Amino acid sequence: MLVSKSKDTNLYRNSERRSLFRFLALYITLVMLLLLVLGMLHYRSHEALMLSNQRTLMLNHANKQYKAIKKLHNEEYPENRVYPRSSQFRSAIYDLSGKKIFSLLKHCPEHFGKDIYRISKSIHFLKTLDDNYYLGAKYLFIEMDEDFTWRREAIKEILLYGALALVVLGIFGLFFVRIFLRPMRDSITLLDNFIKDTTHELNTPISAILANIEMMDREQMGEKNEKKLVRINIAAKTVSHLYQDLTYLTLNHKRKSNDEWIDLKALIEDRVEYFSILATSKKVSFTLDLEASRLFIDGVKIARVVDNLISNAIKYNKRNGSIIITLRENYFIVEDTGIGIDAQKVNEIFERYRRFNSSEGGFGIGLNIVKSIINEYGLEITVHSLLKQGTTIKVEFPKNLKRKEEGVNNG
Amino acid sequence: MAKRVLLICLMLLLNAKADVYHDACVTCHQYQPATLEKMFMLYLKTYSVELSFKVSLKEFLKKPTEKKSLIGSEFIRNFSVKDPTRLSDKELDEAINTYWDLYNPKKNLK
Repeated sequence: MLVSKSKDTNLYRNSERRSLFRFLALYITLVMLLLLVLGMLHYRSHEALMLSNQRTLMLNHANKQYKAIKKLHNEEYPENRVYPRSSQFRSAIYDLSGKKIFSLLKHCPEHFGKDIYRISKSIHFLKTLDDNYYLGAKYLFIEMDEDFTWRREAIKEILLYGALALVVLGIFGLFFVRIFLRPMRDSITLLDNFIKDTTHELNTPISAILANIEMMDREQMGEKNEKKLVRINIAAKTVSHLYQDLTYLTLNHKRKSNDEWIDLKALIEDRVEYFSILATSKKVSFTLDLEASRLFIDGVKIARVVDNLISNAIKYNKRNGSIIITLRENYFIVEDTGIGIDAQKVNEIFERYRRFNSSEGGFGIGLNIVKSIINEYGLEITVHSLLKQGTTIKVEFPKNLKRKEEGVNNG
Repeated sequence: MAKRVLLICLMLLLNAKADVYHDACVTCHQYQPATLEKMFMLYLKTYSVELSFKVSLKEFLKKPTEKKSLIGSEFIRNFSVKDPTRLSDKELDEAINTYWDLYNPKKNLK
């Protein structure tokens, strides 16, 4: 049977989304670094162009000032001791050793080897005087206030083209990541489709097996055959549990929730009874500490949560281990004495197809189902696990679900 | 009182320094076409830095030659090279320092 592509198989499943985000984060960071470098180069080119334009103007000013200084030196000094000034620029003269002779500059010169450079909000132009040191000057500096139009234009262009490039490269990135993730998506789609297709074929035979086991007359049976029947029952229930999970995964969680008042104590007792044969086969014992608690929730869904937690507690328990189930008004706890999980991997247990122990059967979908139901109803789940010591899973009920119950009781 | 005495001593000292420059330099140069102002500007234009200015001037005044002279060769042909100074090193330094301070553009430009 072919199953159409569903939400489960789209690109944005958790693991794929995480890979997508990681790749995009790396890609965008690299792209932004590249754009930053290009932006800086663009800024520098604008600056160089502006300085080039200013150089011609300031050279004219410098020549004019040089003539004025020369005139003062040759014809007027020391009778006239007023340094020549201009309203268009400020200037300064420095001697051969770089010591100041006279300065009208706002900023002290920083370079005696650069002909033009920016300093604070001004531009300095340097004219080196050769042969004749009029007024003792070897270096003549011209200073002008900077016009920031070029900078505004440069920044505007950088932001505009940068944003445009970021969008275009981002689209390319998204396109590339889809190509890179396609093999992973295809394999997950294949697995999902396989599960969906096979699930539909499991129902009838499992139901027939379980019904016939229940109907068999055990009194007529020898002890040997009864043991065999128990084994068949365990195997059938294991497959049935798996079938329930797969059915939920493929069909049930898409149906509308049928919320009702669920007696959790009765539910847990029923599910413990259901799994008792499986637990007995592994010599795992149950200890129940149950108080009355009711929850307004879909019965099928809360049963999936309880079933999966109990099933895992049995599956990953040691032989002769135990399972303690505690139920209180606002929470229930399933604690086992099993193999436990590495603390660093606890956060990964809810991922679909994630299995930490390949020795046990299963698809790694049980806790993923639990998590999706927990999220749907706003329940809280906390996992504490110690390797080789056991796992404790606590499910807390939100106050609003309990309030609903109070409202009904009061009403 | 002590301040007054100190001030008078300082003025006398400065006056004494100025006197060396005045007696040894100004008295002659004030009647010559090569004025002290022009000579200063010529040395300043050539050496730029205070130390070079003073060292080269002192060297010339102690052993004047046509080669060391900054003044034009035509002037030397007409007036010949000046005689070596009779001032002691100390007096010569004092006179040159006074001369530098009097026209130094670093101090005088406004």
